[in-house]
Amino acid sequence: MSAQQQDEEPLAALARWRGEIEEIDRRIVALIAERLAVAKQTARAKRAAGLAILDPQREAEVIRRAGVLAREHGLPAEAVREIYWQLVGLSRRVQESDT
Amino acid sequence: MIIITRPDITDEELDHLRERIEAAGLHTHLSRGEHRTIVGCIGDETRLQELPLRSIPGVESVLPILKPYKLASREFVVNRTIVRVGDDVSIGGDEITVIAGPCSVENRAMLHETASAVRAAGATVLRGGAFKPRSSPYSFQGLGKDALKMLVDVRAEFGLPVVTEVLDTRDVDLVAEHADMMQVGARNMQNYALLAELGRVQRPVLLKRGLSGTISELLMSAEYIMAHGNHNVVLCERGIRTFERATRNTLDVSAIPVLQRETHLPVIVDPSHAGGDAALVAPLAFAAIAAGADGLIIEVHPSPEDALSDGDQSLDPASFVALMNRLPAFAAAAGRSLSTVAAA
Repeated sequence: MSAQQQDEEPLAALARWRGEIEEIDRRIVALIAERLAVAKQTARAKRAAGLAILDPQREAEVIRRAGVLAREHGLPAEAVREIYWQLVGLSRRVQESDT
Repeated sequence: MIIITRPDITDEELDHLRERIEAAGLHTHLSRGEHRTIVGCIGDETRLQELPLRSIPGVESVLPILKPYKLASREFVVNRTIVRVGDDVSIGGDEITVIAGPCSVENRAMLHETASAVRAAGATVLRGGAFKPRSSPYSFQGLGKDALKMLVDVRAEFGLPVVTEVLDTRDVDLVAEHADMMQVGARNMQNYALLAELGRVQRPVLLKRGLSGTISELLMSAEYIMAHGNHNVVLCERGIRTFERATRNTLDVSAIPVLQRETHLPVIVDPSHAGGDAALVAPLAFAAIAAGADGLIIEVHPSPEDALSDGDQSLDPASFVALMNRLPAFAAAAGRSLSTVAAA
């Protein structure tokens, strides 16, 4: 194998992995959009039932479940919880603005 | 408020405890040590009054935090924070970190020359201003984006991570793209919009104490960044404004041990701005290390008399080498050592 080939192969692999990450990111953003669409439906149901949009008990349950799932996947639970606080906050803002 | 848990608390008990607190509308922050785990509570603590915290399984004790800063307070975490800058540098461990470079990036050649000199002398992080907050609108304001590109090139060549100041919320993403650490200058210590924006970006922040900022105000500014999600904050004492005019500012040496008592965040010192005089940099640097500082940030210019900013307080490369040669003895006397960079 020439020196040039040795240099190129890791770079080609890097480009391939980056392509995979971009594809995963597309899926993550699509799932966030899907989650927000469902959150809007939840807000409508809450309003119809005369319930408040903000439900700290439910948010705490969602965060706890995210932490448990993270551990099951061998992920750092604190980091996943933080991501979920952002997601929960985003959902709440979408729900509040969807009047 | 912090909750100290029993050493044998299980993950499930911890989840349950946090869920009870979060269901009351507060946030929790977890800090795990070898022997104990602390759950910090952030938010309206009156909502916890109804909660029998001490009876929840796994809870050992509940302590109030009376200081206005929570996340930044010493009580909130088990171990001192070590902030990683770039791939290889840590601030806040046993080793003392030296950051050095020009006040402002003036051109490619001077940046290159300075980086080469400070690296050879043993500095492990390069400083260089791209956006400059000057007291006069007619003074040199920095090269902006062009300087950021030069910093990136020099980092690639010398392997030194880069710290540079961010002045404007609109530049935060741009600077984060180019720098390993973002500096908040003394004049922006209480620019809360900027602090909040830096909290959003996961880059370490070097937060300088304002000219008239109290220690408590400095810690509240750190709290702002941390409350917005970024816990990688390094505090910097850089001299405060006093009645004394013989020096540009007065280095508040006592701030170093006081901060280390109050917070888990690393504390570094800027002897260049504190004295405003190249002749004072070395003695103030020695004092800082003796008082327990975790690092130094020092201005170095290849030719201080030609500098476009802060020439009076910049060291030339030879003086910087002389200073670096004397630092290990002071570090050793303080029970520390100087961090070193691997050979390129």
